[in-house]
Amino acid sequence: MNILVCVKQVPDTNEIKIDPVTNTLVREGVPSIVNPFDGYALEAAARIKDKDPDTRIVVLSMGPKQAEAALRECLAIAADKAYLATDRAFGGSDTLATSYILSRAIKKVEELEGAKFDAIFCGKQAIDGDTAQVGPELAEHLNYPQVTYGLEAAVASDGLHVLREAEDGNEVIGVQFPCVVTFTKPSFDPRFPTIKRKMAARKAQITALTAADLTGIDLTRAGLKGSPTKVKRTFVPPRKQAGVVVKEETVEASAHRLFELLSKAHVI
Amino acid sequence: METKSKDLWVFLETNEDGTAQNIGIELLNPGRRLADKQGGKLVSVVVGFHTDASVKEASAHGADRVIVVDGAEFQRYTTDAYVTALAHLIEKYGPTSMLIGATPNGRDLGPRLSSRLGTGLTADCTALDIDDETGNIVWTRPAFGGNLMAVIMCPDHRPQLGTVRPGVFKKPEPGEAKAEVVKEDFHVPADQIRTKVLKTIREAAGELVDLEGADIIVSGGRGVGGPDGFKVVQDLADALGGTVGASRAAVDEGWISHSHQVGQTGKTVAPKLYIACGISGAIQHLAGMSSSDVIVAINKDFDAPIFGVADYGFVGNLFELVPALTAEIKKAKG
Amino acid sequence: MANYNAVTPEIIAELEKVAPGKVVTGKDINPDYSHDEMPVYGKKMPDVSIDVTSTEEVAGIVKVCYEHNIPVTTRGAGTGLVGGCTPIHGGVVLCTAKMNKILSYDLEDFVVTVQPGVLLQQLADDALKHGCMYPPDPGEKLATLGGNVSTNAGGMRAVKYGTTREYVRSMTVVLPNGEVTKFGATVSKTSSGYSLLNLIIGSEGTLGIVTEITLKLIPAPQATVSLMAPFENLDACISTVPKIFQHHFQPQALEFFEKEILVTSEKYLGKETFPKKLGGTDVGAYLLITFDGNSMDELDSIVEKASEMLVEEGALDVLVADTAPKLKDIWAARSSFLDGINEQFKLVDECDVVVPVSKIAPYVEYVDEIKRKYEFGVKYFGHAGDGNLHIYTCSNDMPVDKFNKQTEEFLSAIYAKAQGFGGQISGEHGIGFGKIHFLEEALGPVNIGLMKGIKKAFDPKLILNPGKVVSL
Repeated sequence: MNILVCVKQVPDTNEIKIDPVTNTLVREGVPSIVNPFDGYALEAAARIKDKDPDTRIVVLSMGPKQAEAALRECLAIAADKAYLATDRAFGGSDTLATSYILSRAIKKVEELEGAKFDAIFCGKQAIDGDTAQVGPELAEHLNYPQVTYGLEAAVASDGLHVLREAEDGNEVIGVQFPCVVTFTKPSFDPRFPTIKRKMAARKAQITALTAADLTGIDLTRAGLKGSPTKVKRTFVPPRKQAGVVVKEETVEASAHRLFELLSKAHVI
Repeated sequence: METKSKDLWVFLETNEDGTAQNIGIELLNPGRRLADKQGGKLVSVVVGFHTDASVKEASAHGADRVIVVDGAEFQRYTTDAYVTALAHLIEKYGPTSMLIGATPNGRDLGPRLSSRLGTGLTADCTALDIDDETGNIVWTRPAFGGNLMAVIMCPDHRPQLGTVRPGVFKKPEPGEAKAEVVKEDFHVPADQIRTKVLKTIREAAGELVDLEGADIIVSGGRGVGGPDGFKVVQDLADALGGTVGASRAAVDEGWISHSHQVGQTGKTVAPKLYIACGISGAIQHLAGMSSSDVIVAINKDFDAPIFGVADYGFVGNLFELVPALTAEIKKAKG
Repeated sequence: MANYNAVTPEIIAELEKVAPGKVVTGKDINPDYSHDEMPVYGKKMPDVSIDVTSTEEVAGIVKVCYEHNIPVTTRGAGTGLVGGCTPIHGGVVLCTAKMNKILSYDLEDFVVTVQPGVLLQQLADDALKHGCMYPPDPGEKLATLGGNVSTNAGGMRAVKYGTTREYVRSMTVVLPNGEVTKFGATVSKTSSGYSLLNLIIGSEGTLGIVTEITLKLIPAPQATVSLMAPFENLDACISTVPKIFQHHFQPQALEFFEKEILVTSEKYLGKETFPKKLGGTDVGAYLLITFDGNSMDELDSIVEKASEMLVEEGALDVLVADTAPKLKDIWAARSSFLDGINEQFKLVDECDVVVPVSKIAPYVEYVDEIKRKYEFGVKYFGHAGDGNLHIYTCSNDMPVDKFNKQTEEFLSAIYAKAQGFGGQISGEHGIGFGKIHFLEEALGPVNIGLMKGIKKAFDPKLILNPGKVVSL
């Protein structure tokens, strides 16, 4: 069984601060981590490998050279081989362009590996973009069936059985290979890297894939040019004001006022 | 895709019994404004099984036209059936833009659809506008875990797609149901639907108190006075569709089980809305909930530390205010 | 035993003059003030509670109480584990929670001055912003520094950095008669008379009330790595500990625990962090080690060598946590041991003996043997690096009296054993009133006599936190 896990290196958004003077994001000093949801995807693949040691797990990322650190982390945890799709032409891509580039990269990786992937695992969303779009868009480019909100996956005789989160509980979905599954947070934590794997990961060779390597890629569909959505501007949302004390004539009036305030704040 | 009309479409997600999910009706609210500015019709697109009730509701809430795709294969959401149906409709009618509710299904559907149509999608929008110069939709959405807002447009591709979370907009006032109803006879054969539901696992009622996943938490503390007092807290939580939390004081007194405890020795939560009733705000409790987006404090002691972190506060008797607030909410939900 | 007076309205009026608007009496007193984190030792409501905000206020209040023979008990965040801040003789409870300002940093002398109500977590985070580390890292992050000083709190970094005592430079103290004085100085060594500073540290609020503290800081280490070594059984796990030091490794933290208590904690947290099986073998115990240094490169070679040694000594594998989220997860599970126990058991008692590192293995063997005589369950974990073990007796179905009686017996036996091995009865939690009789048994009349003398010298009227540490 061959599984490809797409991962993204992201800033740890829990550590992001706002510069109070310029009202912009302070990015220096913010550690880069493997997108946690991609970590869950990798863990799901690792659990399949626990049951069938012949499983091969390949990780792929699209990003600048520093994303190699995230790929090495994945090698230390469970992956067998890592590829990095990296080229200036890819920069500025929105989700549609990114998923297109990834689909071409996957084709190239299959060529280099000499085998097709049975499943593509991704994290549900990246914690910087928060769009949750790349997974399903990638599935469409590849024309594979998709299952989203996956928690765990198991190989069965008729394909993949995915335990997924549904609105009113969980459900098990059956899907045939090849397929794309996006993962959300399960009840268990991803495993730790072992010291032996960490040492090996440090020395591992990560294969870089440039635009030239992705034969047949239509570069008008990559980068800014290939992105239908354009970011016009960004701004830091206004900080919380000091607390508002609600005090009307009657309790009913206060309740009404509070209701209005909460509605305006879009929390109810 | 070629634009054939200036219409704005709103996808109406249905339940298994054919009734409408609220989000599809809520989006008719901004939809109306956008459709008018675009100079086209507001169209509700209903996909489901036995969908008459949904069609009526869409019509009654301001849709100029309702397009319906009705079939057994649409009773329960599947990616293939819904994306195929919607892509077919969009290619047939060529609307300028479409809003989709960012429910779990919506988030499964939206990006797949945008990729199928080769157009741009903007997810989880909190504000929608029209750019006066170009007539394009201006989508505003959060990124970096909410630390940054991005303003986005899709100038050259059609339709412009966007998803919006439930609760961001309120349902429009209902009126006369006078939409033109168009029934599309479109079906997706079973062999084109590539996923199967093998098993459903409904949550055992009452066992799991999901505080960490809750969007709204109403918590009770020492001020609640006893297990009976918690009924008032529960009523408000129910009206809001939220979860009941508790401070350590209330749990230690035995008024509610530990599974509801929020705080340093309970759960750490970060809901959109945290309403603290009769909770003083000891540091151990604050440690568990201070990351909540909006905090409301209701306490009879104006000195209580909780007011230091609350966005909105009411100093007074929680047994008077909380039921009044519950009544307000029930009234609004109709 | 002293004779204390009742708190009369006249006395309340005098207190009001010192701290207007802050004097709380009767039903309005926060019920939390009647106990700490171990209510099993008993609760008692004070007659008056005052949330103090300045040294002058504290001095004024203590003076009034001194004149009228009213007991005064000081309280921080109330997270103690031996009944140290329970006002067992009533009187006044002074709460320092509002004195929570970090006053100033002196980065030339590497010290910070704080009010006693500053929380450990607050200082830890703030110090990092200044590029410094406050090394003591007791488990309870929301305890106050005043409380830490009163108990000479230890924690997981003591194995490398020492305890709170090593980091207190000087302090402002209100004496039992209301006088204000200063002990210590911002210097690294001193031979200037008896160390009054060191008497206060660990005196649990019985000799004086600390109203300002100057603490030593060190430059913050730039890189931290934690290793988790699972072993088949506790014996193999603990025997590795002395070898770690023999190989000249200087871990920042070194913790051991059995699988059982980990499972309790994971159940409480609702998630599994540590593997229970490795390469087909069931894990029986874990060693958690943290190394800190100036860079990841520096740590790499330490980590490699340490891992080799651990595997040689029987570790099933060595897992690495070197990213912030992973470090957080690993230590979250460890930090929740006590919470897990408290959540799952109605009756809980504890002790925190300390034995020489070389004696941890035989001591644990002894505990495992004698615990079989009792109906309650026994769970433990420890700061392997300094021989400090936290042992808990827990039960859900025993009647309270029986539980207390059997726990008493069990604790007596294991305290005696700890002493026999050359250890002491409390590594970091203190004595309070929960452990007084054990202390008397352990130290004997000569040393207890000296301690009583010191108490009388500071507090002749015995009004400060009476009934704690030594009974007079």
